[in-house]
Amino acid sequence: MARQFAYYPGCVAEFSSKELNATTKALAPLLDIELLPMPQATCCGAGDIAEAKPNLYLTLNVRILSEAEEMGADILTICNVCTLNLRRANKMVKEDPRLLEQVNADLVNAGARPYQGTIDVTHLLWYLATEEGLSLLEERGPKGLNGLRVAPYYGCQLLRPSSVMGFEDPDRPQSLERLITALGGEVADYDGKTRCCGFPIILAREEVALKESHVALSGARDAGAQAMVTPCPLCHLAMDAYQRKTEQLMGEEYAMPVLHLPQLIGLALGLPTQSMEFKRHFTPVDDVLQTVGA
Amino acid sequence: MASTTFRVFRYQPDSGESESYHQDFRLDHEEKTTILDALLRIQNEQDGTLAVRYSCRSAICGSCACKVNGKTVLACMTQVEEAKAESGADTLQVDPIGNFAPIKDLVVDMTPFWEKFKAVKPFLIPDGPAPDKERLVPKAAMEKVAKESACILCAACYSECNSLAADPEFVGPAAFAWGYRFAADERDAQRKNRAKLYSGDHGIWDCTRCMFCNERCPKGVDPRDAIEKLGAIAFQEKVTKDKGARHAKAFLISMRQGGKLNEQLVGGYTDPVGGVFNAPLALRMLQKGKLPKSPLTHKVKDRDQVTKLIKNVKETI
Repeated sequence: MARQFAYYPGCVAEFSSKELNATTKALAPLLDIELLPMPQATCCGAGDIAEAKPNLYLTLNVRILSEAEEMGADILTICNVCTLNLRRANKMVKEDPRLLEQVNADLVNAGARPYQGTIDVTHLLWYLATEEGLSLLEERGPKGLNGLRVAPYYGCQLLRPSSVMGFEDPDRPQSLERLITALGGEVADYDGKTRCCGFPIILAREEVALKESHVALSGARDAGAQAMVTPCPLCHLAMDAYQRKTEQLMGEEYAMPVLHLPQLIGLALGLPTQSMEFKRHFTPVDDVLQTVGA
Repeated sequence: MASTTFRVFRYQPDSGESESYHQDFRLDHEEKTTILDALLRIQNEQDGTLAVRYSCRSAICGSCACKVNGKTVLACMTQVEEAKAESGADTLQVDPIGNFAPIKDLVVDMTPFWEKFKAVKPFLIPDGPAPDKERLVPKAAMEKVAKESACILCAACYSECNSLAADPEFVGPAAFAWGYRFAADERDAQRKNRAKLYSGDHGIWDCTRCMFCNERCPKGVDPRDAIEKLGAIAFQEKVTKDKGARHAKAFLISMRQGGKLNEQLVGGYTDPVGGVFNAPLALRMLQKGKLPKSPLTHKVKDRDQVTKLIKNVKETI
């Protein structure tokens, strides 16, 4: 039976990076996952509302958790930033009953459902990077990645702060590596995989942000990666859409195709390439498709 | 007894060595030995020229921060055996903290750190003449700044700060933790001025939210959270001209409009002037369908709840 999740794709996957949402939806049945829509769910605030109005951030995120609770399903995310914001709010109210009471009072006044604190928030990567998940991938992906050399790129907010995230050692993460290997790919290891992509400040401090993404892009290139994979659509925008700008700023060439996590899985599981909407990428993925024989 | 190889960063420009290198020291030691104890034994027993900065040996002076297998720690509060178990390696590589220029071996030049610290005015600036007795503060008011008051200025948070690596002038996590500690102190009269001082180039809106500072702080200060709270203070004081603040404002506007991010608004609103230079990228984004063609907003179900929350939720920063 399919595992049901309250599906929270987040704004970027729903709009700017539609290819991520489309691929996740196409992939879900192959992974025995049923994605239940959350029609009431707002933006998580992406850390921006938290740094403008912290109490509003908390209340809006608890409202999202409450919708999932009413649906009777844990939340599944496909974005680092959404995962952190939802998990952080969840932790705050679960650890402080008085705070939950205050937040619930605001929710009830606004006509929203109060939250009981029973929901967990997990990312697709975490759901799959378990023994069960990995054996499912091995079983369902006989086509495999055909030795494609992939640089895992975690970014920040799925790892840190570990007190909120806690799935794996933030300094020596292995979930993406295990997944790449299970899918028949080869891991291109490099130091920059847990560094920042710079996206949160890319509009306000572009040069600083691009210098940050350079660390990971150049690291992946130097490790001989044919592609980079990321569990976060914001990292994807920084690494893919802004890649040429970073090349111009740093005077270097990366030519690095960047895959969303579900696209990498989809390639190995034989998902039709049109359904993964690679045409929406900035850096062409033709060589990747050729290697995996898609 | 246990035995460990320490691969220590060496740099001795005063002795005519212009290049840095790593030197291995093998040490037999008790199971319960800290990195600092091990380094001091190496200094005493094997190489007296090894330069290490330390003082209290008990995690309060903030002098002995260094990197162990790439992770910034206080040498005095890190057990050798635990570090080995964590990294799965028998050899521990010890390096000076990052984002600072080394002076000698594990000692770095902290001058920029202290300059940035001073720049945030890390002291109370009350209004009016001093009272006859001390200024009493209710416990609840001090609890607001309790975490930040625990900072020992060890610079572990600067060592792996990703914004600082890209912009050496970024004021940085510890300084802003202190900035918040005083901006949020009810005895301080400079809240708005501090909000202005901390905004602008290399200020709070430079923080890329990589969360390394929260992860590394040995005292649980959570400097990123302090920077976030300084953002909220800036909003409260209406100091919101910085592009970073405008970026956050665009999220609030999106929330009011429909509940989800209006990605067409966010770029232009954040940087209405400089955004022009990004026109080629915006055009390509449009071609790739990464920007919506129409300025439609995305409305969630039961949006009236969101509208009421935006109106009614009180901020307590």
